[in-house]
Amino acid sequence: MSGVVDDVRRLGRFDHVCWAFDDADTFRAQAVTFLAQGLADGQRVWFVGDPDPRVVDALPAASEGAFEVVTTSSTYSSGVEVDADSQVRTYARSTEQALADGFTGLRVATDATPLVRTRGQLEAFTRYEHQVDRYMAGSPFSAMCGYDRGVLGGDAVAELACMHPNANDDATPFRLHAATLPGCAAAIGGELDILTEDLLVKALRRADLRPDPQGELVLDATALTFLDHNRLLQLVGHAEGLGARLVLRTDQPIPRRLVQLMDLPAVRIEAAR
Amino acid sequence: MRTGAAAGHTGYFHEALYYADEEELLAVVVPFLRGGVAEGEPTVLAFGDEHATLVRSALPAADAGRVLFHPGGDMYARPASAIRSYRKMLAEYTAAGAGQIRIIGELPPIALGATWDWWARYESAINTAYDEFPLWSMCAYDTTTTPPAVLEDVARTHPRSAAPGELHLPSTPYLEPPVFLSRQRPGDPDPLQLTEPILSQVDPDPAAVRAALTNLNRAPAGPVLDEVGLADLLMAATEVLVNAQLHGVSPVRLHCWVGEDRIVVVVTDQGKGPTDPFAGLQPAAHAPVGGLGLWLAHQTCDHVALYRDDGQFTVRLISGNPHHRVAEQNRISAAEPA
Repeated sequence: MSGVVDDVRRLGRFDHVCWAFDDADTFRAQAVTFLAQGLADGQRVWFVGDPDPRVVDALPAASEGAFEVVTTSSTYSSGVEVDADSQVRTYARSTEQALADGFTGLRVATDATPLVRTRGQLEAFTRYEHQVDRYMAGSPFSAMCGYDRGVLGGDAVAELACMHPNANDDATPFRLHAATLPGCAAAIGGELDILTEDLLVKALRRADLRPDPQGELVLDATALTFLDHNRLLQLVGHAEGLGARLVLRTDQPIPRRLVQLMDLPAVRIEAAR
Repeated sequence: MRTGAAAGHTGYFHEALYYADEEELLAVVVPFLRGGVAEGEPTVLAFGDEHATLVRSALPAADAGRVLFHPGGDMYARPASAIRSYRKMLAEYTAAGAGQIRIIGELPPIALGATWDWWARYESAINTAYDEFPLWSMCAYDTTTTPPAVLEDVARTHPRSAAPGELHLPSTPYLEPPVFLSRQRPGDPDPLQLTEPILSQVDPDPAAVRAALTNLNRAPAGPVLDEVGLADLLMAATEVLVNAQLHGVSPVRLHCWVGEDRIVVVVTDQGKGPTDPFAGLQPAAHAPVGGLGLWLAHQTCDHVALYRDDGQFTVRLISGNPHHRVAEQNRISAAEPA
């Protein structure tokens, strides 16, 4: 699923959610709910961070090997920029191990704030978020990434949140993430207008989208509820920069209407179903 | 090659046709259409059903078969759409080698009411918008039913008029489009605007406005606008709001009223509005990079009005039924004893 999330209990085995928070208590409460749901679904669950009793003690009793507190430093290299490829491989191995051990998958909750303190770390981590999302879209690995707005600021958190298929509340106006529809380079949902211009530029660059062999950049836009004409031109321009023609797969009325009115040959709308 | 009254003219030859009865109408329309057919020119009639039927029966069958009968109602839903459709048609005819194209059209009577102001702007703007084509067109107006103020605008927006007996007379009150389009037209409030707005915001966030409009559209008796109508209004409101915030002067105020059959959104800033007198009716010269927002609003709303008064620039959008005056008059006359 993708969208704005107000309750992590609805998330499934493949989901990836960003939880922007202003106080750590709300994040911990949501992390407990998220992990407890994973246990109930037969997943192996990890809390990545310090062994906080407010999380550990709040979780229901788990079978051997089902729950583990994993320190951030043993999972991520601290103080440096994340190496996306190797980090995705680490989680892939852990997910496969969880399956081999009889679990239905791996579920992780972490407060990733300490990993994105510098601009360089933030840049690398946003790219990583998209790459790991591609892995999650096809594997039984789900994660909840907490980011502290008080520490990072709302703009930086939006840069991270927009690379997730799910985000809470007003963490980001749009989401660019791995597509589950076949043939799509990525999915884009939410609302795109002038206020999202810079964020969209960054997200598109970091997602590093690749056109298909037919020279089309196909985006699953089924959840794109609004875009203004300049953002449509921005997406068209991005596709053209990749030497591709933009295709939006959507049944939403606004993208369809805009393309019709603007008579743009460089973009095609395809029915989502 | 140009023929008939437009012989020797370069560009658009735009005439009003005033008539008081069917006889007068046919006395101009029939020779105009037959002349076009005889010259092998693309000859188009964009009338409502009643007059289209009348003209068809008055033409010899061989001529009627060579006139393109275009449904006027579809063509004249919105001025910006009419300009877009006609320009496309004219470009195709010209590319195919037409030396002249003849079109005669009439606005549906409802367009002469509450929404006349944007049709008046249309009638003026097309003098420029169609001038690159070898077009001779006539716009028919019934002098017995058209309001006098509308007829005054017709005289100011048509350089000449056609009359029975192949007469073609210059229109003394005619104003060049930049002059007509730059005039300060008094605001004609929708009756809803005389009540308290249901939503008033200062320098609002476009996303918050979209969320509020989406909520307001959910009336207890069912949505005021259908899905596409709401989508169109959200697009237009965002474009107009962003224009005001980018190009206008703060504070930008947004007011909204919701009626049974329409939503009215008014955006005001403290600036002077666009300098281009054709703004909204055609994409601005620098489009698609900028200049498209107001044009899109003109394509998606059922009425757009632009006002400049008290040092403010105002854009009013109506989605749904904009013909409030007509509807109210009908209600009043229905309530009156016979």
